[in-house]
Amino acid sequence: MFSAIGQAARARTMPLMAARTSPSIIMRVPGCRTIVTKKYTEEHEVVAFDDETGLGAVSITDHAQESLGDVVFVELPAVGSKVVKGDQIGAVESVKAASDIYAPISGIVTEVNEVLNSEPGLLNRSPEDKGWLCKIKLSAPEEMNELLTLESYKATWEA
Amino acid sequence: MPLPPVFYHYFCTPLPYTRTLLLQEKIHQLQLAARRSSSHHDILLLLEHRPVYTSGRRQTEQELHAERARLTSIGAEFAVAARGGQLTYHGPGQLVGYPLLDLARTSPPIGIRDYICVMQKMIQSYLLLTHGITHVPSDHTGVFLDPVTKIASIGVQVRHRLTTHGFAINVTKEPLEWFGQVVACGLVDVKAGCIAEAKGKNTRVEDVVPGIVDAFGTLYGRDMVKLYPQNAGELGEAILALEEDALAAGEWLNAPSPN
Repeated sequence: MFSAIGQAARARTMPLMAARTSPSIIMRVPGCRTIVTKKYTEEHEVVAFDDETGLGAVSITDHAQESLGDVVFVELPAVGSKVVKGDQIGAVESVKAASDIYAPISGIVTEVNEVLNSEPGLLNRSPEDKGWLCKIKLSAPEEMNELLTLESYKATWEA
Repeated sequence: MPLPPVFYHYFCTPLPYTRTLLLQEKIHQLQLAARRSSSHHDILLLLEHRPVYTSGRRQTEQELHAERARLTSIGAEFAVAARGGQLTYHGPGQLVGYPLLDLARTSPPIGIRDYICVMQKMIQSYLLLTHGITHVPSDHTGVFLDPVTKIASIGVQVRHRLTTHGFAINVTKEPLEWFGQVVACGLVDVKAGCIAEAKGKNTRVEDVVPGIVDAFGTLYGRDMVKLYPQNAGELGEAILALEEDALAAGEWLNAPSPN
């Protein structure tokens, strides 16, 4: 059973590995599903990194959407743009305040959540899931280690 | 530990908008750099602008193109700002306030919604206590005298928890005709009101400044200290340079020029 699943997983990832330009070491335990790591920044961004695809889905945290108020407009980066960790990649507008969003990791923007153009309120209703902002193909997966865990992130704003 | 004071400065001459944007940007950069050693200051700039229409981040250049042409032809500047909110007017007779604050001075940091909420309350409180002007509650951000009359607007930008842009309060009737040329803030049926009309008494912008400084200090819980640009290093120099530019720019139009 285990080996069958392991083989299926490997078969799926082979074409992706061939397409990757930078080598990355992936520890794969047979039978395990894709590993998705979630890390946070002090500026209230979250990255959910899927180490199989090398893509990080960037969103804002639930705490951030709460402190922003009703989101009326979301500015997203252009697909294909190259970003460096710390670059401004977009903004969220709510109750007359435009708040910039910063790239938590470096890479190339592969996808943006177009739904937010017509439904900015999704950011309030489902900030870390359906309200994802963009997906970045990480150029340096080790940058994930520099980000905060959920506990450390919460410590930055909890009284 | 108590919070440091907010340093405020009132510009006596109406300022050109784009040059003031540059000043805000400069102060933002100075704050960002000084914050690493916790030596940055919170600033409140109080001023009037020369006639200008500004739009926020939401509108595209395509949408703005026709408006830009029309509004510059009646004698105003036109600028795009990275603040929240939509099209609005600034000009002589309207007090503009730019609080340039670090929201993360407190632990936990002030949330954006709270920051805006306090700004709104500050204006409402000032109008009531100093002028006996009551407001009506509204779902829209800003301060309304009645459901179709807006006396003050708010539009803010936050980057790395440092704020720029801020609020605008109509004091004299001078801005009203300019507001009449556009749909401000995306609110179709709403017209602009001002302190002078609401009170039935002439009021000057410079007379409003001390009360606003007080209200700001009270509502945000901060001591307000007057800034002396001559003694304020790089920040002070930038302020003085802008004031010189403003004086050199000469007269401005009191009313939109007829087409």
